[in-house]
Amino acid sequence: MRAKAGAFTIALIIGMLFMAWGPVSAQEDVVEIVFWHMEQPPHRVERIQQLIDEFNEAHPNIHVSQEPQNWAEIYAKAPAAVAAGNAPDLLFAIPDFTPIIRQVGAVQPVDDFVAEMDEAHGFFPSAVEPYTYDGHVWAVPLWNMAHSLWYHVDMFEEAGIEPPETWDEWLAAVEALTDEEAGVYGIGLPANRHLYTDQTVYDFMINAGAFELYNEDGTLRFDNPDTVEALDFYSQLYQYSPPDSPNWTWGEAEACFVSRTCAMILQFTVIKSYEDQGEGDPENLGVIPIPHAADLEESGTIAYPNAVMLLTDDPDKQEAAYEWLRFLLEPENYGRFLNMEPGLFLPVTEDGSEAESYWSDPLVVEYEAQIRVMLENSQNGMLFGFTGGNIFPSIAQISAQNLLAQTLQRVVIDGEAPADAVAWGQEQMIEAIEAAEE
Amino acid sequence: MRQTGKVKTMRTGWNSQALLGYLLVAPLLLWLAGTILYPLMAAINLSFQNVGIIGTGGQYIGLENYSKVLGSGKFWDAFKRSLVWVIGNGLFQTVAAFATALILKQRFSGRGIARVWVILSWIVPTVVVVIIWRWMLGTSGGIVNYLLVALGITPEPVAFFGSPNTAMISVMLINSWRWFPLMAVILLASMQNIPQELYEAAAVDGASPFQRFLNVTLPGLQPVLFVMGLVGTLWSFNVFDVIWLLTGGGPSSGTTTLPVYIYEMAFKKYRLSRAAAASVLVGLFLLLFAVLFIRFMAPKGEEEGE
Repeated sequence: MRAKAGAFTIALIIGMLFMAWGPVSAQEDVVEIVFWHMEQPPHRVERIQQLIDEFNEAHPNIHVSQEPQNWAEIYAKAPAAVAAGNAPDLLFAIPDFTPIIRQVGAVQPVDDFVAEMDEAHGFFPSAVEPYTYDGHVWAVPLWNMAHSLWYHVDMFEEAGIEPPETWDEWLAAVEALTDEEAGVYGIGLPANRHLYTDQTVYDFMINAGAFELYNEDGTLRFDNPDTVEALDFYSQLYQYSPPDSPNWTWGEAEACFVSRTCAMILQFTVIKSYEDQGEGDPENLGVIPIPHAADLEESGTIAYPNAVMLLTDDPDKQEAAYEWLRFLLEPENYGRFLNMEPGLFLPVTEDGSEAESYWSDPLVVEYEAQIRVMLENSQNGMLFGFTGGNIFPSIAQISAQNLLAQTLQRVVIDGEAPADAVAWGQEQMIEAIEAAEE
Repeated sequence: MRQTGKVKTMRTGWNSQALLGYLLVAPLLLWLAGTILYPLMAAINLSFQNVGIIGTGGQYIGLENYSKVLGSGKFWDAFKRSLVWVIGNGLFQTVAAFATALILKQRFSGRGIARVWVILSWIVPTVVVVIIWRWMLGTSGGIVNYLLVALGITPEPVAFFGSPNTAMISVMLINSWRWFPLMAVILLASMQNIPQELYEAAAVDGASPFQRFLNVTLPGLQPVLFVMGLVGTLWSFNVFDVIWLLTGGGPSSGTTTLPVYIYEMAFKKYRLSRAAAASVLVGLFLLLFAVLFIRFMAPKGEEEGE
């Protein structure tokens, strides 16, 4: 009896060991890819998950998983994760974030893969350029975003004014549309120490001709009359912005516009919130290029080509990551990927910009006219520190400290003269660059 | 000989008891060493180097970080704001907590519900508190501004976070709103331990309610006020989340207290070692404060009892 029990126990243990070992051996062949992105809204996470599920099903030897992060924290969290050995395999990026991660030695060059994708899909050069320096390409472009001036068409019609093209016309329109007693502000402009404010300040700088932050030799040229003019004009318009603008991020600006408290705002897009929470009338949603100073001939705007960095140095993981990115950039998937937020993310590939999967989204169909204008505006897009073919990675330190926004705050909150504030801003930028070189 | 034997036994007994005591506290001490002592030592070590971004290397540079921090006007501005922050929060929270505790001590119908209700703002997570107040105080559809304008209290919406001073006061009030219930509950519990006879005797002697509060309630609360004064000040000084989430230290650095300054130094300016030096200095300051507070503010009764 005892011998039988012993034999049964041994058989049970062996069986359990086989059962435990079986799945592990099966898992050993699966390459795990963890990728971090900063697209936290649930509907974006859901859309990415749909694509991941399709990919994982079609690729049984690869398992991709997403871990959504926050833009506000990622500048601190990603370097810490790299230092702790817990870095993801793929990490989303904007141009001024990449140099930070490069400094901790984690970013892998992706020259060959970008060349392959360029041949297959045709990258717009402006999307690759901000990630190309020091002899390599450091990230794979995924989409573009560009600011436009959004306005309520009926407000303009009731006031009898035309959409502005120059700064004089813009100021006149903002004055005419402001009715503080009725709680209506001609424009909503942020003054927070935040990336959104950096972006709007740069919009003004571009349209004053001050788009170059650096001279060709890498020295700063922020302190120049065009920048002063840009900040001076910003402060003139800012008088007509709601009083809590110093605390705004993108969400508050959109809320102000959608609630018709703001007649105009500068934003990448307002389509989703306008459709979901506002009037939802495409005929009444105006979008135009950002007006420019009188001495310039055309408008420009800030544009952010978003991309993804490869952090893993494991060849198997690298190949699996590339396979996932190949899948995303295929036109039938790419449009669905971009339309995780319809009307916000603009294509960076030629075949993607014509893809049926992009233009067939119901919201894109409804707001096609606006999206065409956004696409057109993005062609004149640029990004501070990444202009003129000269890229200086020290821009990462300037951007991380929101020094454009801080300079603006000295003008519109502290009441400092624009020229003095700009001089202060340049000093801070020099200090930031020197600290990075220490 | 017999006496010596007794001493030996006592010493042996004490030793085994002490050993047991050490064994019992050892896990906690090890845990504290791992979670507090090691990071503290790492921060001190870091403060003597020139590390920029976390994860990158650095060289030892002596006291340079300390001299730069102490010579920085921004550090001292943040220090002043921290003092304003601690004093402001202390005032707001003390007044609100005392008022609440005194009201909740009275007998009235629904007192039980009120005592639970009042603690709700403390239970709500910080992020939720921040979102609630940001939207309530907003000028585009915020309920507070709507009421202020509708009731004719202000002619136009108020920008609560629009200038450095209003932002500081607004954040202090929101933080106080979050924390005063805890203080009120502690005070209430302590008030209920004060013998009722003392109030009755004071009333017989003709003491007014204010005199009873001054001469009976306050002395009775002294031990708990001492502890709350010490712990509350240290907590308050180190508050980061509410400030960062509400204003990010702005506008125009108006709410950049020392914890915000240190965070920005480490993760915005990427000067990790300098931030570590500032942290060490702040730690030393708080340690000095705690020593002085205990030395001069400890209730006399406890000292006598030692």
